[in-house]
Amino acid sequence: MKNIFLLVLSILIITSCKQSTPTVQELDTSSVVVANSSAKILERLKNPSDDYVMVVSHRGDWRYAPENSLMAVQRCIELGLDIVEIDVRLTKDGQLVAMHDKTVDRTTNGKGLLSEMTLEEVRKLRLKNACGVRHSRQQVPTLEEIMNLAKGKIMVNLDKTEGETVREAYEILQKTGTVDQAIFKGNDSLSVMREKYGTLMDSIIYMPKIWYDTPNKKEYLRKFNEELHPPAYEMLFDTDQSPVFAEIKNMNAQGITVLAIALWDELCAGHTDELALVEGPDAAWGWLVDHGANAIMTDRPAELIAYLRKKGLH
Amino acid sequence: MKNLFFFILLTSLFLACTTCPPQDEGKSPRVAASMEQLVNDLEDSQNPEIMVVSHRGDWRNAPENSLQAIKNCINMGVDMVEIDVRESKDGVLVLMHDQTIDRTTTGKGNISDWTYDSLQNLRLVDGLGVPTDHRIPTLEEALKVSKDKILINLDKSYDIFDKCFAIAEQTGTLGQIVIKGAKPRSVVEKEFGQYLDKVYFMPIIRLPDPKADSIIKDYLDHRLPIAFEFTVPSDTIGTIGMFDDIREAGAGVWVNSLWSHHCAGNDDRKAALDPNTYDWFIERNIDMIQTDRPALLLSFLQSKNLHR
Repeated sequence: MKNIFLLVLSILIITSCKQSTPTVQELDTSSVVVANSSAKILERLKNPSDDYVMVVSHRGDWRYAPENSLMAVQRCIELGLDIVEIDVRLTKDGQLVAMHDKTVDRTTNGKGLLSEMTLEEVRKLRLKNACGVRHSRQQVPTLEEIMNLAKGKIMVNLDKTEGETVREAYEILQKTGTVDQAIFKGNDSLSVMREKYGTLMDSIIYMPKIWYDTPNKKEYLRKFNEELHPPAYEMLFDTDQSPVFAEIKNMNAQGITVLAIALWDELCAGHTDELALVEGPDAAWGWLVDHGANAIMTDRPAELIAYLRKKGLH
Repeated sequence: MKNLFFFILLTSLFLACTTCPPQDEGKSPRVAASMEQLVNDLEDSQNPEIMVVSHRGDWRNAPENSLQAIKNCINMGVDMVEIDVRESKDGVLVLMHDQTIDRTTTGKGNISDWTYDSLQNLRLVDGLGVPTDHRIPTLEEALKVSKDKILINLDKSYDIFDKCFAIAEQTGTLGQIVIKGAKPRSVVEKEFGQYLDKVYFMPIIRLPDPKADSIIKDYLDHRLPIAFEFTVPSDTIGTIGMFDDIREAGAGVWVNSLWSHHCAGNDDRKAALDPNTYDWFIERNIDMIQTDRPALLLSFLQSKNLHR
């Protein structure tokens, strides 16, 4: 009898939770309880399961705030996302800042190559919003600021680091105490990465990318799996006939996290965020999950996490 | 033991519930307003409800000035969508903000150097600059999508209004259209007079303007506009004190929350950090707000019972 009472009560709680309509109070960032923690997220990355899909936001929530800005990262934390992807590049004086393009032209009110500007010069710029006309009050953040903001709350996937700046980034992670929160990634084979970074590869979380056109896929994967044991792969398949797509099953069987990229058609056999809007989320995100994705990178994080929560997958 | 299990389940459910993140704003169930209701709201300057105008459509979630950006506004319950009109080389009216197509499309150059057909080969890009499946819409397509669903503010259309008028008439959307101009009454009557009875016209007054009070008075006395748009760079501008009288006289008061100098610093950027920033507009008796954050503003106004 007591059990029935508890059961009914729990159902009531679930339904009341689902029915609560959004209010402005819920938007007030100060009142938001952080539902996620970076330690929990790392555990999930290392031990993927069928009942949880991680949400990875591309360049922060750039619809809400300028791409690669602190506010765009903060918004991801507030949404309860698991991972925020940001792009990191070096300034002329060797400082790592968040910037996607080689030039600052598209995303700031300045012009020129980032690599020819000092941090001081970069700090004078202001980021543009996604409408691109008006600049915001926000500066280009340093990696250090991003990691301090993310600390304990969300994992950070560092893009554009693999070619040259793993060492510099690692220093910042050590300084900020966030080595366990950063996921590096890249396209090179393990031998190339070893040649560049030696044993540093064993100290970082590294997620190899495997593309539909990566040469010698079997050997590429074998070497990583046997010698580095990465917790996750970013898997990019242009069609569902791609050997990369077929490989997902093996990753699932080995307990390795599969990150699918729902941004553009050629990265996920057309199962994109856009398709989720046009044909409904089941046709896009649902399809990726059904075919073995444990994590999805998206340009629509608010919609994706709402969908996964509805499905009991987040 | 079983009870313990239930207790844990219950506790975790409760926690899961209380830790719900901020929901995506503006998704609460809502009843779409009829065009009659929207027009009534627009015409009734004393109605306590505040109208939400979305700048360039819902550009966060679809390319600016795209049909999808307009549809998103309709679905969100926005009252009016602001779109920009320009002419192609062969005289077709299309939606485009900038003089060039560089920022918002996959092409380059002045829109006036491109024929409509060639523009159709281009794609609109998203906020990352990545091409989308959306194309540059014609004004006609935009008006058809908006017909009977949302009010339309045609920006940049004053000088090419002859052409806009023909399309609005042909699509049966004349009664939904708002045009603005930063000119005194006598000039507007001379330049735009033939349309003043056919579409809604709003004077723009950029404060501080030493002539502001007399321009306002002249409009109020001789040609009551549906509303005035004000640029309010600071809170100390005396004309703010006239807002009550203007609304009493039958005209609305429109202020943008887009940029800091529009609204004495109480802009959308600030509101994203603290939605109560929008209280500034309510306190000053402003009843139309053009925003870059329509979902946030709607949700704020709904919480105050100032919007459907």
